[in-house]
Amino acid sequence: MAAAFAVIACLLLYASAGQAKPAGAWRWMDIIAEGGMAAMAGLWFVMTLSSRPGGLVTRLLAGGLAAVMLGSWADCLDEFFRIDKAASWDNWLEALVPFGMLVLTAGIYYWRHEQFMLNDHLAKRERLFRQHRAFDRVTQLADAAYLRHQIRLEQERDPSGQCALVLLDIDGFHRINRAHGPREGDRVLQAVGHMLLLNLRNEDLLCRYAGDRFALLLPGMGGADARVLAQHLCQMVSMMRHHGPQGPLQVSLRFVSEAARGDAETLLARLSAAIDSAHLALAPAAP
Amino acid sequence: MIRYSLPDEPSIPAGGLPWHIMDYALQRDVLPAAVARGTGMPGDGSAPRQGALVSPQQCLQLLGNALREMDSADTSFMLGQQLLPGAAPGLSVALRHAGSLQQALELICRRSSRLLPLLRPRLHVGDGRLVLYWTDSHGAPGLRPALVEMHMTAVVALVRWLGGRRLPWRFCFNRARPRHIEQHEVHLGGELRFDCQLDAMLLDAEWLLQPWPVADAGAGATAQAAGDAGAAPSLLDALYDYLLAEVRRGPTLEGASAAFGVSPATLKRHLARYGSHFVAELDLVRTHVALYLFQSRRAGNEAVADYLGFHDAANFRRSFKRWTGLTPALLRAALAT
Repeated sequence: MAAAFAVIACLLLYASAGQAKPAGAWRWMDIIAEGGMAAMAGLWFVMTLSSRPGGLVTRLLAGGLAAVMLGSWADCLDEFFRIDKAASWDNWLEALVPFGMLVLTAGIYYWRHEQFMLNDHLAKRERLFRQHRAFDRVTQLADAAYLRHQIRLEQERDPSGQCALVLLDIDGFHRINRAHGPREGDRVLQAVGHMLLLNLRNEDLLCRYAGDRFALLLPGMGGADARVLAQHLCQMVSMMRHHGPQGPLQVSLRFVSEAARGDAETLLARLSAAIDSAHLALAPAAP
Repeated sequence: MIRYSLPDEPSIPAGGLPWHIMDYALQRDVLPAAVARGTGMPGDGSAPRQGALVSPQQCLQLLGNALREMDSADTSFMLGQQLLPGAAPGLSVALRHAGSLQQALELICRRSSRLLPLLRPRLHVGDGRLVLYWTDSHGAPGLRPALVEMHMTAVVALVRWLGGRRLPWRFCFNRARPRHIEQHEVHLGGELRFDCQLDAMLLDAEWLLQPWPVADAGAGATAQAAGDAGAAPSLLDALYDYLLAEVRRGPTLEGASAAFGVSPATLKRHLARYGSHFVAELDLVRTHVALYLFQSRRAGNEAVADYLGFHDAANFRRSFKRWTGLTPALLRAALAT
């Protein structure tokens, strides 16, 4: 809003203080180059503001881009209006370009810091590379396609090394959904996802396989260690106190694990069937 | 005369399946206007008014919009998770108090036009197992995979909820193996087969009569109190029923149109609105009957050809290849594995 106002104010200032040049004296190359620069900087400004959450980095980036845009806009208007040589305000306006670039540089510097912190935060969710479409919207964890890809990558990276795959499933999740609604179910998924993430190493990968089933890829871990870790995770989740709208909800997990060998899809199908029958064996005890 | 309804006749209560879809989309933070476009549902995300009706066409459009806007492989499964017992008063209570799998499935199939208006469940019990297969009620080939996922999940989830345990269902899909196989594994189960000629779920018949924990002595009475189907079935469903009953007598377009009380030209025009035609519907029924005979009766080509009124086995073999793209021998080999 303020930026659009400044652009128009700039135009009016030039129109009132300057003298219009005849159309014949317009230098088209300069107009296109400087006008294009202003238009692009304006576009980046809008895109930055619309895509980033507020904060210091966003303010610096947007402010720098706005200054660059105004400076080049003034530069471009210069081609249409003749300004008295004695006046210096137009030079100051054009000096907004280098000033804006300075602010932009500061913004990018802090952005870098922010990104390092985000990377640190996301390390257990992303592992080796980033692919923003492969993320589940509810838990912000990677999906099954990403997991299969990572299993293959891990097998290629270290064909003879140890690597464990664990599947975790929430007991009676469908009952939580029925009793408290899918919104509450989503909150449980998010809480369990956070709880699991807090108890993992940096090189581990946590995915939401599908529904209420999580998958854990543990590079370099043997079968016994993986089972100990999975048991620990189940304990942590069962000790977690999740507060639903109708009081605390008890959440518990069960797990199966296996070495991550062979074709990823068959491996996952086998584990998935195993966790289903683990459920069947427990079922008669349920009310 | 057989009663039927057409896809643009408002017949689905907007507070049922349409609002179920809409509500889920809203929970996923989708703009209500984008989902409601062209469906007769309120564009501001508010609940439809009491008694409002939506046509099957609009309901399919709504589902298509929702799938497109959410663009996630789990949408159809999540929609299925709580599709049943549904919101129909009386009916959903009756379903909740079903005493066994058999009672529940029979109720679902008998009242499917209210409970599951888009895809018709058909139950067949014999030879020690039950087969629940699904046929298209309103002709939506593009949405068929999503509809099948949604409805199979609905039945599995309901049975698991009421019965208190996951049953060892086996699933057949009339489609190629999808990429989002994990959703099938988690929401349905591990026994999945693709490239079958039929969308069906199979289970040993021993589960049918096991009493369920929530069983209620008054369940049968409630089910009766829920009344019998008032609404006419969709033309495709009614025609399927008619053809299945007549399949041994060589049904014709003329005979069918007389039974429906319309001229052959009108029946043709009605079917064209579903993107179908009479012979396609007849071939579908004959394929299903042949599959049943192959599978459960271990019938040979001659027996099936005779049953379906073909002159000889070679003739039947050629026709079967045209219906399914497979010869009977290849199909039997696939069934045997």
